[in-house]
Amino acid sequence: MGQLVRLIVNGEYHDVLVSCDETLLETLRDRLGLTSVRETCSIGICGACTVLVDGRPVSSCLLLTSLADDVPVTTLEGLTAPEGTLHPVQEAFLAQQAFQCSYCTPGMILSVVALLAENPNPSPEEAATYLAGNLCRCGSYLRILAAVQDAAQRMHQAATGKPTR
Amino acid sequence: MSGRMTFGMVDALERVTARIRFSQDSSVPGMLHAAIVRSTVPHGRLRRVDTSGAWTVPGVVAVVTAADLSRIPNLRPVYGPQIEDQPVLAHERVRYVGDMVALVAAESARAAREAAARVVVEYDPLPAVFDPIEALRPDAPLIHELRPEELHRGHAVYFGLRPIFGTNCCHHFRLYTGDVERGFAEADLVLEETFHVPAAQHVAMEPHAALAYWDDGRLVVISGTQTPFNTRQILAQLFGLAPEQVRVIVPPMGGSFGCKVFPRIEPQVAVLSYLTDRPVKLVLDRYEEFVTLTRHATIVTIRLGLTRDGRITAKRVLAYWNTGAYADCGPDVARKGGFGSVGPYRIPHVAVDSYCVYTNLPPAGAFRGYAVTEVVWASERMMDIAADALGLDPLEFRLRNVLHDGEQFATGETLHDVHFQECLEAVARALDWAQGSRERSSEGRLRAKGLAVVMKGMTTPSRSEARVGVDRTGQVTVYSSTVELGQGARTVLAQLAAEPLGLPPTAVHLIDPDTDRTPFDNRTTSSRSTYMMGNAIRQAAEQLAARLRELAAERLEVAPDDLELKPGAVCVRGVPERCVSWSELVTATGYEELQEHAIFRNEGGLDPETGHGIASSHWHQGAAGAEVEVDPETGQVRVLRLHAAVYAGRVVNQLMAALQNEGSMIMGLGSALFEELVYDAGQSLTTNLSDYLIPSFLDLPTTLSHDLLECPGAEVHGLGETALPPVPAAIGNAVARAIGARLTALPLTPERVLRALRAAQEEAP
Repeated sequence: MGQLVRLIVNGEYHDVLVSCDETLLETLRDRLGLTSVRETCSIGICGACTVLVDGRPVSSCLLLTSLADDVPVTTLEGLTAPEGTLHPVQEAFLAQQAFQCSYCTPGMILSVVALLAENPNPSPEEAATYLAGNLCRCGSYLRILAAVQDAAQRMHQAATGKPTR
Repeated sequence: MSGRMTFGMVDALERVTARIRFSQDSSVPGMLHAAIVRSTVPHGRLRRVDTSGAWTVPGVVAVVTAADLSRIPNLRPVYGPQIEDQPVLAHERVRYVGDMVALVAAESARAAREAAARVVVEYDPLPAVFDPIEALRPDAPLIHELRPEELHRGHAVYFGLRPIFGTNCCHHFRLYTGDVERGFAEADLVLEETFHVPAAQHVAMEPHAALAYWDDGRLVVISGTQTPFNTRQILAQLFGLAPEQVRVIVPPMGGSFGCKVFPRIEPQVAVLSYLTDRPVKLVLDRYEEFVTLTRHATIVTIRLGLTRDGRITAKRVLAYWNTGAYADCGPDVARKGGFGSVGPYRIPHVAVDSYCVYTNLPPAGAFRGYAVTEVVWASERMMDIAADALGLDPLEFRLRNVLHDGEQFATGETLHDVHFQECLEAVARALDWAQGSRERSSEGRLRAKGLAVVMKGMTTPSRSEARVGVDRTGQVTVYSSTVELGQGARTVLAQLAAEPLGLPPTAVHLIDPDTDRTPFDNRTTSSRSTYMMGNAIRQAAEQLAARLRELAAERLEVAPDDLELKPGAVCVRGVPERCVSWSELVTATGYEELQEHAIFRNEGGLDPETGHGIASSHWHQGAAGAEVEVDPETGQVRVLRLHAAVYAGRVVNQLMAALQNEGSMIMGLGSALFEELVYDAGQSLTTNLSDYLIPSFLDLPTTLSHDLLECPGAEVHGLGETALPPVPAAIGNAVARAIGARLTALPLTPERVLRALRAAQEEAP
């Protein structure tokens, strides 16, 4: 027994037969081999499995794959352009070395992408509040906050051709 | 010296693109997935294990209980790094909720988990014990029957193991110096207090993950472990193989913090792979993480003798380490916590008894800070209690007693390169220590500052080996068994190899730990790698540079001293056009790769009777300070400022060092304020991040800062842990000062703080 679901992941179509209780995390990681989608708590608290569903950050461990039918899903793999050009948020994480073990990094980067889409110029307090659902056990938080500011600047500059602030 | 190197991780691009492959990402064709059936009772006899339900799940290939292990020839189904007390699968008896009873292998992880859930286990409950002091009573149920004639010493016990036979104490560490009773008789004031630290969870974001397969009689295990060679040794003993018949490959880890020290699931996947003749992979879920390994819940009683002018005459310590159902490295934790409990102070009379005790709780083992967080909480809270009793400023009281260069520690060893005072003073400076201690903010909140100092040993004795090679293309490769768990080992070790060869670190290729390819290393623990492995690698790289110079000297017909190394070439000094490439030099030797091998050791050890000797070849030293604000209505603690000062000797990479300090402090903040594993009659009430909180962005102090203290020409000192242990004590000292109460137990939850505050108000006249 299963359900045929059409997934749109990083711009590519995948028709997958899933059981009704299969989570998007399982489908992306185990069937599509997208290892950037990482499981830690499995109950929607840690943010490690965050993906963008229609542009919004979602814990993929809590979303049934059947509910992601025909909706664009972005994982970290989808942020990097085919020729390897990094997304400005990835560039900022790289420049600020905003990680240690980097297990939480994909979820963190996608949440920052979503944050900057909603609020292109967040204060550190706004960023901390928005990102409170993404945990980093290594404690790279200060550098991640620096990366948010860096990314905001890069994206502003890319959009306007002018540096901000 | 290039002590200010600040470049980032050599594998940073892999990390921001998620191309980095952790052990949980490993796969081989045809592999099965495993799941574990775990005990639901804390102590019991296994009456019946009914596996029939599991076989009804499609895709199930094997269901294995202890009885099936006899099908593996030569298997010795028990293991453990320091005491061989852990069965591969429980037989006859289970010892904690979470103990492994049966294993399932199936075509998918889902099927394996489903099948595991359908195994029915019946138990006859046995009396259980959860508190280490109760577990030492004569009438307590015995969790293991250790006997002197068959004490199964694990290979990783590098000190005299002293169980108290016939009790649940699996190791008793003693450190006796002087005559404590005389010390107390000489004191003007004697204080005593008992402190509690709860069990805690590492919460590495990546769970334990291991994959095993058999290759023509050889066992291959791919696992995220901090201990590749210990794991190889233990697996070899388990299967009756020569160590060389086992290969352990270690991909980078998504964090560990001690939870991946010594085998955790490797024996089980290896057994399943043997019995199914298929590769088998196992990834634990978060509930299993919470019952797999914990930090020791600890009870520490300290009696301190003091003179009116603020000198310490004697210190008596009794420490009880709740090591759970299996010893793991608990004996060493009790030992390191034993001498760690003395603290960096001049005390003529010391007596420490430190007991590692079995209970029916999940096993406790290594945890970042390794016993020292627990004893620093006790010892440094006690220092503040003593300062208050003497009417002395806590900083001043510490400075009167703190050890200096050339003084003796309680073990009798003379300390060198000692910087406790500087660490304390750096923290005091950062916190504006002199400016008032206790104040009330306009909203009625209570504000105060606190500080604490830490002295932490590094595993002694131990050994690290490294090879550095250059091949016919001129590529330099480092072969090292230090594992990458997010601390930046690949980066720092590449840097240390690159320096003597005049290369940028990114030009150096590093082979990840693989016991078939990389030479022996004790393990990646104890903040030892940058110092121990760093020295081995630097030495091997220097040998390689010298060898290239010698080969070039022959070739160019000049003295080696007239040559200098350039990236990829050796040139005559001052004549840049007279060069010969490394590639040409290697090719001319006829070898594929020129390799140099180096060994670096540290020496020492303690007498098991007296605790005297060399506890640590050098010491990790630091201090932390906190300014807190307490809401007297709710008991809520807010950390405004947190600062650590850590002695680095020489900083190898400023950026990695800063990340270690920040990460350690944030982890310490969690331990200080909310991290606590809670059990009810042996059942874990904290099984995921819903019940067990770890610090998030919103828990950051308003200011989080640190100092790295250096000394010209000093040895590199590891930085992986030092900033953690003093943080809970510094915060606790600040909170105690703010509310004027004696706080003795971690974590400082609002409820606990409020109760202490009420108790202090009732006591007050």
